[in-house]
Amino acid sequence: MSKGTNMRSILFWTAVVAILVYMTLPAVVVVATSFNPTEVMAFPPSGFSLRWYEKALTYPDFQAAFKNSLIVMGMSSTLAMLLGSSFAYLIFHYNFRGRGLLEAALWSPLIVPHFTTGFGFLLLGSHLNLTQGFAVIVMAHLLLVTPFVTRAVFVSLSNVDPNYARAAANLGATPTRVMFKITVPLILPGMIGGWLIAAILSLTEFTASLYVTASRTQTLPVAMYNYIREYADPTISAISALLILSTTAIMIIANHFLGLRRILGIDNG
Amino acid sequence: MMHQKMTAITALEHSVEIKAVSKTFGAFHAVNNVSLPIRAGEFVTLLGPSGCGKTTLLNMVAGFIDPSAGAIHIGGVDVTNVPVHLRDTGMVFQSYALFPHMNVFDNVAFGLRQRKFSKSEVTRKVMQTIEMMKLSGMEGRRISQLSGGQQQRVALARAIAIQPKVLLLDEPLSALDKSLRAQMQVELIEMHRNTGLTTIFVTHDQGEALSLSDRIVVMNRGQIQQVAEPIDLYSNPANGFVASFIGEINALPAAIYQASDREISLAIGDIRMTAPRRPEWKFGSGEMVKAFVRPEHVRMATSADAGSNVVTGEVLTHIYQGSHTITRLRIDGLGPIEMRLPGGDVVGRVPVGMPAQIAFDLSQVILLADNPN
Amino acid sequence: MTRQRPFFVQFLVPAVLVAVIFAAAMFNVLKYSFLEFVPGSLNVGGFTLENFTRINRPIYYWVLLDTFILSFATAFFALLLSYPISFALVRAERNWVRSVLVVLAITPLFTGEIVRTYSWMLVLGSDGVVNTALKSLGVIDRSVPIMYTRVGVVIALVQFAMPVMIILLATAISQINRDCEKAAANLGATPNTVFWWVTIPLTLPGILSGFVVVFAWTMSAFSTPQLIGGGKVLMISNVVYLQGFSSFNLPFAAVLSLVALFAALGSLALMKLLTARLEQNMATS
Repeated sequence: MSKGTNMRSILFWTAVVAILVYMTLPAVVVVATSFNPTEVMAFPPSGFSLRWYEKALTYPDFQAAFKNSLIVMGMSSTLAMLLGSSFAYLIFHYNFRGRGLLEAALWSPLIVPHFTTGFGFLLLGSHLNLTQGFAVIVMAHLLLVTPFVTRAVFVSLSNVDPNYARAAANLGATPTRVMFKITVPLILPGMIGGWLIAAILSLTEFTASLYVTASRTQTLPVAMYNYIREYADPTISAISALLILSTTAIMIIANHFLGLRRILGIDNG
Repeated sequence: MMHQKMTAITALEHSVEIKAVSKTFGAFHAVNNVSLPIRAGEFVTLLGPSGCGKTTLLNMVAGFIDPSAGAIHIGGVDVTNVPVHLRDTGMVFQSYALFPHMNVFDNVAFGLRQRKFSKSEVTRKVMQTIEMMKLSGMEGRRISQLSGGQQQRVALARAIAIQPKVLLLDEPLSALDKSLRAQMQVELIEMHRNTGLTTIFVTHDQGEALSLSDRIVVMNRGQIQQVAEPIDLYSNPANGFVASFIGEINALPAAIYQASDREISLAIGDIRMTAPRRPEWKFGSGEMVKAFVRPEHVRMATSADAGSNVVTGEVLTHIYQGSHTITRLRIDGLGPIEMRLPGGDVVGRVPVGMPAQIAFDLSQVILLADNPN
Repeated sequence: MTRQRPFFVQFLVPAVLVAVIFAAAMFNVLKYSFLEFVPGSLNVGGFTLENFTRINRPIYYWVLLDTFILSFATAFFALLLSYPISFALVRAERNWVRSVLVVLAITPLFTGEIVRTYSWMLVLGSDGVVNTALKSLGVIDRSVPIMYTRVGVVIALVQFAMPVMIILLATAISQINRDCEKAAANLGATPNTVFWWVTIPLTLPGILSGFVVVFAWTMSAFSTPQLIGGGKVLMISNVVYLQGFSSFNLPFAAVLSLVALFAALGSLALMKLLTARLEQNMATS
């Protein structure tokens, strides 16, 4: 409108870009150093080499840890999608005695420090003699990631006109048919978005995992942590770069198909 | 007494002049070359369907949207490049946009405080406005504690407290229920009379427009269709769009077969009729036109009617509406026609399915060129 | 007449089951905090209150205070840096700008603690990007220590906290009735006045909840102080880990875990109180 507005907007966008540089600089540095030919983590890199990728992908600890991570991720995120969706449906539709308590229990992993959760499951696992398997790890991850599914599905449910379900019931559909022919298809984006978030969070969860994994069941972040404490070469850069690039790709795809802003409830421009 | 008080508040009156203003969004012409002079103290309504450009035009007067072309003058001064906060227009928003984190007093005082009035001046002016808007005693209330009608009054009070050069009303009544809306219309008229503010009112409700305005500007597709006083607009629409947008009307294709200085004879289907010529009718013999007849200008034929003006139709439905009844008839070759008969005269009704003889009030027939708008 | 409640039991049972398992895990922490530590053994003895009296030592007060200060600083700077991003994310006119912003702002949330902490080690180390850049620009001639300092820890923690802060602020900004800002401008407020007197107050609930969520979240940060603090900056999480895995004093680790848990709960309760009052004041009809 006026010339002053221009100046303000230049200043504003300069600040925005500077802050974004701060936010993304570490990721850029990691990706750059991962191509370094030498063991020194020079930035900018002194050449181009894939040797650290080769080392990362063939390092037995990482291979085993990656396999463990996939097992834990697959089980916990799928269970979280089922549990989170049904729980969201439950609290969206029904009022019942003890609901407050149940909600407090299932939302609280967002608030309880991860090391407290991890510590609790460590103690519970040893109490039940389950320290060597995946059961305790999956259970801990399930609790940590379910709130994200619950929230995503709850938002989806709030955005669905309840008259669709009423119309279907009015036309003679049984509650089961209403659920699977009407409700589930309409909230599917929320369920898929929630599942995706759950999977990524489980794959990258570190603090609680540090407590509940044994050396045979350690997940990728735990294996990386142990490596960082022992060695200082760009192998971790290579793995990190792979994780950063694939997460970014997933985010771009998710944004395109699911609309991140809508899932996050940031919807009007 | 109230009248004198507010005349004292409004020291200056300002005209508004919209000069060849256009606004394009990409390829879409929201407002297309609109020129409109508004006299100081006038109450002008921008009326049209949603998307006709009326709100865009109002936002350009307020300065929220920059025109793509043209200029806007307020009080004789070009304000096209003046930023919003220096324009001195008082706007009432459709959503009211009352500040939820301030009470009634602070809302009304907001504009005065921006103008750096002394504390006592602010208090005096706020209390005066609050009293005029019948909000006394509510100064300390939170916005969320007010009813819809009260919020609407606070919004008005906030806009007029700054003594704006022009008052802009963006569908301010649409959020109210029907009975409250009627009451607020009366209050708007009183407010306008008391303050004498130049007012631009935007609405899609023709009833509001007809009852409130000095002049109505009918808009469609970004262009002005007609500017006229309410009575003129209803009885003398400039084109088919205005004729059908304001009130109910029957639109009938007609052919002129004879035209003289005093009379025009036309054929509507099989019907022949002769209507007194209006000065604005430039049609000649042989032209195709559209004849517009309002339902209240169609009546049951009597023996006094000339034979050629009388039409026979089949009664389709009666729609009883209390003070009157709308009757739909089918006339061969013409399609349905609506007529409006006073009262609920059930006995005098022709039963559904039976033929009825009707006649047009010839002096009220409106002829317009037959080009799609 | 009883109302039909389709899927009520089917959906309730698994939720209750999982909630009970979580409660059992938390109960174990509580139980251990009351059990006697047997040095040199993972086994524990009988009931005792001694673990709670052990915490009454200056070192643990310092750790708690440090945790508190670092979390507060993190929340403050995260708020400062996130607001412009959230604002741009909601208000940018072009759709692609908003999409780029949302992806850039949110992605760090999903790369995981380890990757992010490791990245910051590369940036902040004595041969890291920041020191190298400053040296080559001639600003400094010897590396300044950033690793193993509170400043370094906060720099990393702020970046971790920003995605969550950005989401919460953006939600608040997107819920503003923009007519309120237009109305303020229309009444004569300059763009600055509109921002400080209308936009900021209307987003205050989001600002508050963002601040407290980040504060509580940062209180339980582990890997960043562990790796970037390198033992020189201790937060409560690091002491829990030390007690549990170096001294094998599980009962005392349990006590510290509980302290962290109650600190987090306390700050969230405080937020609930504040936002409830705010919302009561600002509720629009």
